Amino acid sequence: MEDIRIKKVLSIVFEVPIELITEDAAPDHIDNWDSLGHMNLILALEEEFDVSIPDEEVGNMVNYKLIKLIINELLK
Amino acid sequence: MENMKFTEILQLNKGLVGTIQAKTYEIGILSNVTVNSIKEILEYSCRTNEIEPNIEFGNFDNIVQDSAVFKNKDIIIIFYDVLNIVDQITEFFEDLEEGKYNSFKIKLFTEIDIIFENLRNSPSVIFNSFSSAYYNHNNMQVSKIDTFIKELNTYIEEKKTNNMSIVNIDKLFTQIGFKNSIDYRFYHSSKAPYTFLFLKNYVSMIETIFLRNTGKLKKAIIFDCDNTLWKGIIGEDGIEGIDMSPNSRLGKFYHLVQKIAVFLSKRGVIVGLCSKNNEQDVLDILKNHKDMILKEEHVVIKKVNWVDKASNLRAIASELNIGIDSLIFVDDSDFEINLIKDQIPEILTIQVPKSITDYPDLILKNIYKYFNLDLNNDDAKKTEMYKQQFERENSKVSFSSINDYLASLEIELTIVKNDKAQMPRIAQLTQKTNQFNLTTYRYTETQVDHFMTDKKHEVYAMFVKDKFGDNGLTGVCIVKEDNNDPKNVIIDSLLMSCRIIGRNIEFVYVKNIIKDLAEKGYQTLSSKYIPTKKNAQVEDFYEKMGFNLIEIINEEKYYSLDIENFEGKTLGYIKINKNNNIK
Repeated sequence: MEDIRIKKVLSIVFEVPIELITEDAAPDHIDNWDSLGHMNLILALEEEFDVSIPDEEVGNMVNYKLIKLIINELLK
Repeated sequence: MENMKFTEILQLNKGLVGTIQAKTYEIGILSNVTVNSIKEILEYSCRTNEIEPNIEFGNFDNIVQDSAVFKNKDIIIIFYDVLNIVDQITEFFEDLEEGKYNSFKIKLFTEIDIIFENLRNSPSVIFNSFSSAYYNHNNMQVSKIDTFIKELNTYIEEKKTNNMSIVNIDKLFTQIGFKNSIDYRFYHSSKAPYTFLFLKNYVSMIETIFLRNTGKLKKAIIFDCDNTLWKGIIGEDGIEGIDMSPNSRLGKFYHLVQKIAVFLSKRGVIVGLCSKNNEQDVLDILKNHKDMILKEEHVVIKKVNWVDKASNLRAIASELNIGIDSLIFVDDSDFEINLIKDQIPEILTIQVPKSITDYPDLILKNIYKYFNLDLNNDDAKKTEMYKQQFERENSKVSFSSINDYLASLEIELTIVKNDKAQMPRIAQLTQKTNQFNLTTYRYTETQVDHFMTDKKHEVYAMFVKDKFGDNGLTGVCIVKEDNNDPKNVIIDSLLMSCRIIGRNIEFVYVKNIIKDLAEKGYQTLSSKYIPTKKNAQVEDFYEKMGFNLIEIINEEKYYSLDIENFEGKTLGYIKINKNNNIK
């Protein structure tokens, strides 16, 4: 369930079709995932899951797998 | 929009790309903090209002220089945030010695001077007040930073020009809460202090300026009666049973809404009623109910009957001669609100909230957004003028020919030229007039001022009165000498308020302007008609006037007129006021 919601946020924020958001999705292969894009992503994930992502995790969420891990951790 | 998720806005905005048929509205954003996330939010807000935006950001923290580059945009929004201003200081601010404090202050004043000077003639500028909310650790003493920010705010208030709107950022912080507005995580990593919530609310707040600049403000507010102007239903509770008393627990909210309606009627907003009731009952309440503050004199139009409300609202728009999208409709019933949303989506509907304590706030929020309540003398008189319009409409019936009727009105025109005292009203007319408007160019006061001063432009304004009353300034014409041919003059804008349409005034008005242009030595006159959704009624105006149609490009019609051989219609029943003729 969370998987799809995370992928959807990534897809909308970075304007990439959702099927291209794979387990390996990372800034290297997504053009819009620059520092501003990353900020929008974090803020959009916070809105989507109604969580507050701690400062130290913001810099860690640099690919889809890590995002999933941290979001699931915060939702516990 | 304030309650939508950022991702929802992104998606909806994407869906609207390419759907708006309008000239691009050029928006420049200058900032000393990162505000790029505002782009899609602002685009979405514009597109929902049928404005097609093109947003360009200035370089980061380069407001002073970029203000010169961006000055020709349709609107310039400036985020000059005190956070990144104070960060320039190496010391702790409270520890600044006086000399350094003063030189820092002078530096900022100078920067503000340059920015304001660069943007002096821009159509529209939004500048945010400086906020001391960032420094609220010491609320028992006046700190140095408080004094500093106060001085900056006093300075911008003093220096601000007519084209500038100052946003009170502190009020916005208070409204949504400071902690919900500022996110220091991204300020420290990316110099981006504002949260999505802040940006969404900010955009929603400035929306009114966009509506005003693009002529999309509303003109009338139409109220249902039962459970909208009073608590209770006449048909069930009886005239004695309804409640809008300032002293009752629930009645007082309706009382307050009535006070707001009275205020609006004095500010040139058309207030009307649309209610399913027996007309006599409602008239009786308007006249005789002791708690009724909204009286017949405040209400321009009433449709109290058993006809469906969509038909009634259509009739109201047509009788008032205003676009259907200029109406706001207030009702408590789900059924009526949904009917209007479905049948006439152009009408903005406001449903009386279930929690009645929120009702006056909801009304206030909407009226400040959708009406221009700047106090302009002419507006206060408008309610009276709309009423006179009805007397005119009614007396129309008894004359056998329309010319007899028009002659009986004793119409008098006064045309003035480059009269600076009329600047606010002229700018307002260019912004609000949709129907009798040949080019629909919107201008701000600053632009009108420029035209009046510039030797190659002339700005004509027309006053109209008749035996029923004074319509005030209701016609504008802006002409410009042709850069390539000094004997040719071009009509840039020609418009008349809908209040005076249907009396052939336009023919006499334009004829007199042409006469004045002939006296100035011009030999030919060029003009054009640009079609919009609302100005079909003037598509053949220039043909009727005797202009020659030269060509049609992209549905825009181009005309030319030989001034020397121009005769024009003579209409004996319209008097040109000689005493105040073109100055």
